[in-house]
Amino acid sequence: MPNERQTGSSALVSLRDVVKVYDTGEVPFTALRHVDLDVRSGEFVGLIGKSGSGKTTLINMITGIDRPTAGEVVVGDTPVHALNENQLAMWRGRTIGVVFQFFQLLPTLTVIENVMLPMDFCAMYSPAERPERAMHLLEQVELADQAHKLPSALSGGQQQRAAIARALANDPPILAADEPTGNLDSKTADAVFHLFEELVEAHKTIIMVTHDTDLATRVRRSLVVSDGEITDETIHRPRAERTGL
Amino acid sequence: MSALAPRWRKVVRDLSSHRFRTLLVVLSIAVGVFAITVVMGGRGILLREFEAVYAASAPATVSFTVDAADAHVVRAVERFEGVRFAEGRRTLAVRYTEGEQPETASSAGWDTLQVRAMPEFERSRMDLVTLESTGSFPPAPGELFLERSVNMVADYAVGDVVSVETPAGARVLLRVTGIVHDINAFPATFVATATGYVSMDTLRLLDQPAHFNEIHLIAEGAPTRAEASRLATAIRDDVLMARGVRVLQTSVPEPGSHFLGDIFRAVSLLLLALGVLSLALSGFLVVTTVQAIMAQQVSQVGIMKAIGGRADQVMRMYLVMVAVYGVLAVAVGLPIGAVAGHWFTGYAADLLNFRITSYAPPPYVVALGVAVGLAVPLLAAFVPVRLGTRISVVRALNATGMSGASFGHGLIDRALGLVRGLPRPVALSLRNTFLRKGRLALTLVTLTLASAVIMSVMSVQSSILATVDEVDMWDFDAQMWFAVPQGREAVERIASRVEGVVAVSGMPEYRSVFTRADGTESQPIDVIGVHPESDFVAPRISEGRWLAPGDRAAIVLNADVAKDEPELTVGSSATFNVLGEGREFEVVGVVTAGLMGPVGFAPVQHVDSITGGTGAITRLQLRATSSDPWEQARIARVVERRLEERGVPVAFAQTAADQREQVANQLGILVTFLAIMGAILAAVGVIGLTGTMTINVLESTREIGVMRAIGASHGSIYQIFVTEGVVIALIAWFFGVLASYPMSVALLDMLEGAMGLPLVFDYAWSGMGIWLAAVTAIAVLASLLPAFRASQVSVRDAIAYE
Ligand SMILES: Nc1ncnc2c1ncn2[C@@H]1O[C@H](COP(=O)(O)OP(=O)(O)O)[C@@H](O)[C@H]1O
Ligand SMILES: [Mg+2]
Repeated sequence: MPNERQTGSSALVSLRDVVKVYDTGEVPFTALRHVDLDVRSGEFVGLIGKSGSGKTTLINMITGIDRPTAGEVVVGDTPVHALNENQLAMWRGRTIGVVFQFFQLLPTLTVIENVMLPMDFCAMYSPAERPERAMHLLEQVELADQAHKLPSALSGGQQQRAAIARALANDPPILAADEPTGNLDSKTADAVFHLFEELVEAHKTIIMVTHDTDLATRVRRSLVVSDGEITDETIHRPRAERTGL
Repeated sequence: MSALAPRWRKVVRDLSSHRFRTLLVVLSIAVGVFAITVVMGGRGILLREFEAVYAASAPATVSFTVDAADAHVVRAVERFEGVRFAEGRRTLAVRYTEGEQPETASSAGWDTLQVRAMPEFERSRMDLVTLESTGSFPPAPGELFLERSVNMVADYAVGDVVSVETPAGARVLLRVTGIVHDINAFPATFVATATGYVSMDTLRLLDQPAHFNEIHLIAEGAPTRAEASRLATAIRDDVLMARGVRVLQTSVPEPGSHFLGDIFRAVSLLLLALGVLSLALSGFLVVTTVQAIMAQQVSQVGIMKAIGGRADQVMRMYLVMVAVYGVLAVAVGLPIGAVAGHWFTGYAADLLNFRITSYAPPPYVVALGVAVGLAVPLLAAFVPVRLGTRISVVRALNATGMSGASFGHGLIDRALGLVRGLPRPVALSLRNTFLRKGRLALTLVTLTLASAVIMSVMSVQSSILATVDEVDMWDFDAQMWFAVPQGREAVERIASRVEGVVAVSGMPEYRSVFTRADGTESQPIDVIGVHPESDFVAPRISEGRWLAPGDRAAIVLNADVAKDEPELTVGSSATFNVLGEGREFEVVGVVTAGLMGPVGFAPVQHVDSITGGTGAITRLQLRATSSDPWEQARIARVVERRLEERGVPVAFAQTAADQREQVANQLGILVTFLAIMGAILAAVGVIGLTGTMTINVLESTREIGVMRAIGASHGSIYQIFVTEGVVIALIAWFFGVLASYPMSVALLDMLEGAMGLPLVFDYAWSGMGIWLAAVTAIAVLASLLPAFRASQVSVRDAIAYE
């Protein structure tokens, strides 16, 4: 099913000749070497690779959490690499939902308040609509009954699902997740992954870093990152064919 | 709550869920607000009230001491051009004691009472006194109103009876029927003389003639001192002398300046200086704490920015949080400061003997308190908050791991690495100490400033005490004055025969005035005749030289004269009016003695020769075998009694210890104020260090957990944090010592300027040790609570700690 945002064959996310050099220590370290990447709308992309290969650095280029040393990052029509910090924050809040390995919920806000926070920052939806929308998102991730608890009262899997609900708060077309299942047991990880699959079905574009080679085979398209380069790419059977759904 | 947007809910939750931290930050700010309110409020109230009370007393512009004058003369003075009011009074000094004494009892050891009489007290228009007890003006014949400051050294109440010995030696009983306040009377603590008020009728009971010996006047308009002096000279020549009235003394004080003005200015200046310093201190405290909070919040800042928060939105959240701290701090600090200020001001007013009618702090002080509580934290927070919220998202998110990623690079760390053989917990705490260098620097500045101020305060104290020693240029154990000149030989013989007396020295002392080039007269200057080689004087020369054998009309002035009379330079010759006759003297030197009033020393032979060559003395000093002040006082009483038995009435007697105490009492006000200020600053230091230590604990929760996991005991956790606190305190102490020297010099310079009194600089070396002990104790105390919290950290909590 085509996404409205997709125009012709042009990509939703496009990296051109991206280089990232960290200049800590005596010798500058090149974490990304001339990376080119296109992700089309509705794709579910997995980034796999050894620890230290540059996966986090790469996904941070896409989310605008970090900046490339050279090259271009264009998401939709936005030249992400050219935005200043404030423009980035606003753009990211509406365009990309970010999911972290360590969940990163704000500890003094309840689950539903954490979910409402991006709407507050980006002035999305009217204040009256926000609780209703947040509750709806929590229902989607099956956490409605935990809405008024503090994150510390939730299990890791629940916290990650809450973080996903928060990432969806402003209905962004893209979800970027850096090892979202890295801190979860395999059963819980499976549930979270399943949630992602549903979101792709609902036309979200998802870019996910993962360690888990088993999960990596279940995404539509997996890219292998090693030594700061994309060295391999595999297109898997569509999920529907594989699972028969 | 539900009406609030989520980010404001976070602010509220952060404040309420970190109650201990909120309490600490609020206390840190509140202590600054408190200090400002007490110090500046106290200063404002004292200045305002003192000025009001002093102005309300309508102090006389000029007062003459005359031999005798009646109401006609007073009226003639009042009619003189430029005079608004004139009033006549009679004052005399008597000796008095509590209760009814047998006629035969010796008056040796009785105290001195300055009795003031005037007609129509109730209609007086100058030098007003106010009744503070029951009763009404005027006191009836045989009744006495006492100035209330007497109760700082004794305990008199309405209804008490006092025995009075008149100058002629007769005994009279007077009943105390009122306690009054007279802001123009010297407080009894400063001069060992009480002041009492009687009606003219009572004078007859005291064997006194009913005419006046003082004429006070208030001039028209607001003349300068020079104008008032010219008026006084004109009245003396054209009214008083023209009517055959002999003028013994003319007093023209600086208009609007109270005799305690110098000390008052000094106190007020000190308070101002300390107010500014406490402001700086609390500013540093706030910067330190806010910076620590931002350091702790850095990962949350990263998350908020990652999910769409703009830097300015996030910044506003933290500034609002700081503003809430400020509001709470003002709510705590301002009222407590006002209450403490009330107490402090009341105490100070008692010492200075004036009444406070309103304790309301001046509006500018309230505004200052609010500004300190709100504006200072916001300004102080601005930079750390801005830096904290501008940090890039990656860096913020990366900061979540174990802190101290940069450890191992700095110079200090390398230096620490070189120190081998340190016990592990100590090495660990040193590492922790230097880990958070930015905050360490700020904490150090705060504590160093507090240390420097406290040590400067101690140095000013010890300088004041050293000045008291310096001021005392005499070497006697007891001295007494005679109302009428006495034969030197007879008096010295009687005194030296008393057991316990080892040396005696009689000296003539006469009131004189110096006539300035413009014809106006100086304040009275006591000319004392001394043997140039007498060992009863130990002069400290600040200019010129001391008297030499063979000097004749030479005079050495003390600093008080030199300050008031710039014409009297060393080498100049000047005319002093002694016993009504002008005498030429050459000024040969200046001595540093202050606080004994204007005094000049001349060779005793010369003083004898110009006062009739009779060798009469008015003052006797003696040294005793005992160095115990009580024993010296007892010996002095025996001498007094012996002299009285031989028909030599003593007008006033005091021991050297008494005299020192009076001088110390005057300067002691400053010492007391300084001690109170020191205590406030120490409190700022304690709260500051506790705050820093606590924040360090909060920040190293993860490290503590790791240490616990690898087997650190409660004891070693305590040791780590207490060592850290003590190391910080010792470094602050060290730099505080360095800074306190120039700071003490500067404070003392200011005080000298304010008091016009040369002070002896005496750095409080012993204070260094005292403060070292105190700062170590403070550091241990300030670290105990954080250390306790640290020891309570469980491994599980620590690892899960956000
Ligand atoms: N802030 C940084 N400073 C210096 N080097 C970094 C920084 N972040 C990552 N690196 C280095 O860049 C490489 C790639 O890191 P990263 O993208 O986090 O890898 P991955 O996520 O694949 O484990 C690693 O070698 C890492 O050490
Ligand atoms: Mg990674």
